[in-house]
Parts: sequence; C-alpha cells; structure tokens
Amino acid sequence: MGFLVLVLAAGFLVYSLTVGGVGGQPGGYEVTAKFGQVGSLAPGAAVSVAGVKVGTVSDIRLDPKTYLAITKLNLDPDVKLPSDSTAKITSDSLLGGVHVAIAPGGAADDIKPGGEIDNTQGAVDLFGLIGSVMRPQGDAAPAAGAAPAANPAATAPDSY
Amino acid sequence: MAAADAAPPAIFKPVRAIGRSTLGALRMVGGVGMFALRGVISVFSPPWFPIQLLRQLVAIGFFSLPVVGLTAIFTGAALGLNIYTGGGRFNAEQVMPQIVALGITRELGPVLAALMLAGRVSAAIAAEIGAMRATEQIDAMRTLSTDPFRYLVAPRLLAATLVLPLLTLVADIIGVAGGWLVAVRILDFNSTIYVRNTMNFIQGWDVGSGLIKAGVFGFIVALMGCYHGYNAKGGARGVGRATTHAVVSSAILIFASDYFLTTLFTHA
Repeated sequence: MGFLVLVLAAGFLVYSLTVGGVGGQPGGYEVTAKFGQVGSLAPGAAVSVAGVKVGTVSDIRLDPKTYLAITKLNLDPDVKLPSDSTAKITSDSLLGGVHVAIAPGGAADDIKPGGEIDNTQGAVDLFGLIGSVMRPQGDAAPAAGAAPAANPAATAPDSY
Repeated sequence: MAAADAAPPAIFKPVRAIGRSTLGALRMVGGVGMFALRGVISVFSPPWFPIQLLRQLVAIGFFSLPVVGLTAIFTGAALGLNIYTGGGRFNAEQVMPQIVALGITRELGPVLAALMLAGRVSAAIAAEIGAMRATEQIDAMRTLSTDPFRYLVAPRLLAATLVLPLLTLVADIIGVAGGWLVAVRILDFNSTIYVRNTMNFIQGWDVGSGLIKAGVFGFIVALMGCYHGYNAKGGARGVGRATTHAVVSSAILIFASDYFLTTLFTHA
C-alpha cells in the first residue's frame, strides 16, 4: 500500500511537471494569431475546429507596440487551414475555461507553418455578462430563463 | 474515580482546588519541557542506535503512507468542491486550482498528515513504552546500563521529525491530485490548464513553510507519545490512559503550534 501511494504521487508529480513546463505536442506546426482581448485564455488551452481539438495554445504574450495579445497556436500537422480562416476565443462552457475555435475559410491557399491567422475575434467577458444577470437574484441556478437585458440597471459594480 | 472522591472538598475549598490544578499544569509543562530537552540532547549525543532509528523510520514513515494518502486525496477532493461552490458566489470558480494548492500545501497537508500520525504513531509509541514501563522493562534496561532515552526516545523523536515532512510532501501532491481529479472528472475543468495554473501559482515557500511545520509536528507527535508512555503509571489502565493522553495532547499541540508557526511565517 505504501508503495502504491508513492507511485501515485510520483505519477501525478511527473504529469504536473511535464504538462506545466512545455508547450504543444511535438510534430505540430505553429501559427500566430493576434487578439484584442484574450480574457482568461492560458497556455495549454485547446484549439478546435468544428468542436474537434486540433491543437493547443502554446504561448501568449503582449505586443508592446500595438497592445494586441499575440498567441502561438500549436496545430496538428494533418489539419491544413485556409488562409482566410477565423480564430475566435470562446468559452468551453459557462463555467469551464476558454479555448480558441477556428472557423475555416474558403480560400484556396493554406496557412503555412509560422504564418498568421488574420481574422480574429477576441474574448467576450462572458462572466461579467452572466454575473450581471445572475447576481441580483442572489441564487445562481434559477436565473437561466431571465433575459440578459431584463435588468441591466441592477448590475452591481461593487459585487466584487 | 479519584476526581469523584475529591469533588466535595474541592467545592468547599475553591482556592485550594485552583491552586492545585495550576501547580499540576505547571508541573506538566515543566515535565514535558525537561523531557523534550533530555530527548533532544540524547538525539545529538552518542551512543546512537541506527538499527532502532531505521526501524522507527519504516514504522512511522512508510507504514503511515496509505493513511496519509487516503486522507489527503479525499480532503483535496472535498476542498476542491467546496471552493468551487464558494467561489461561484462571486464568479470566481476559476481560482479553484490555486486555492486548493495553497490550502493543501500551507495548511492541510502538514496538519492532516500530523493528525493522522498522532492517531497512528503517538498512540502506538505511548502504548509500547507504557507497556515497557508497566512491565518494568525500562528499569531493567537501565540496570543493563542502556539509557532508555537514547535507545527508546531518541530514535522515535528523530524518526518522526525527519519523516513527517516527507509524508507531508506526499500528502501535498496527493491532495492537489484529489482536487484535480474532482475538477477534471466532475467539474469539467481542462486537465492541462488546471495543472498549469497550480504549477505557476505555487511558490517554493508555500511548500517549504508547510514542511517546516511538519517537522515541528513530527517532533510533537513523537514527544507526546514518548512522554506519556514513559510516565505511565498503574499497569494496563495506565497504559490505556497514556495512549489517550498522547493522542489528545499531540492533537491540541499540533493545532496550537500550527497557529503560532503560521503567524510567524505570514506576519514576520
């Protein structure tokens, strides 16, 4: 039993160190995309096409000149994206993290490794939006039916 | 019970009763202090008994791993669920990995591992040494010119002090894994992001301060076990009382010293 505990602990530690350290999977190719707002996007987040995971976000940094967030996306080499594809930051679920969804375009040429996705759409502050609707009710669950515009006046900026 | 016999006079002579219990408490504190000092001195002075030390390291450390691991994984999972629910009240579910990691490494890992050790090891030490006291083995040992402090107390003190930080390290990892398991399996967190948030957030001192605490707790656990066992009186019943006292007093001292150590680490 003692050995089992040690093995489990060591396994999780190794997993944490490998995942916590490096970027995308080997063999993928990288493209960049610039966003005005990445929200809570973090390195390691999924990149998906039509909901299917095709890669991960490997790096996020700020361009000090344009104040845009430059993200590096590590993509599956089997997935070739048309050059007019659109990258969009969306939420996995209401409560989960965010990921990058790519809507493929219709252009004949593909984005080369190291290329850039020009059409982007940054993160929407979904939590602020939901919070402003849900907070006034006090209880989180039954507010789903309420229309977002129903009580904009009740938005409490001091709720934090 | 002696207390029942003494009750009527104690009611009529309150000052004397207060005085007696105060002196008793002071005598206890002084006794533990002297015992601890003697124990530490015998840890650092020869002759040493490496076989005894090794045996205690295995008994206290390795065989406590399953208990500590189980405690840690369930606590981490429950803590994760609670923080997720609580964080939801102000839209901050996303900070769950960080808070779970902080709570486990700074507070719950050391304290829970120490409490488990108090239940498992402190009682065992008190019973073992108490039984040796009751059967006069300790006196026999002294007759054979073996210092019971060096042979019995020192290896246990040293082993518990060394081994509890290691157990705590395992408890930290397993506890975070418990939170991670709940987050990924039940709450739909992304596994990679959870782990990465934890790894980026946690600092060396978060873990380090917990390990220092654990060392102190380990010393307390072994000290209480040895002290109450060594001073057990009155045969089998005395041994039973010694084990109870050992567990209760080490649990209380763990919590008290935890507060003071945390104050030292966070406000100094």
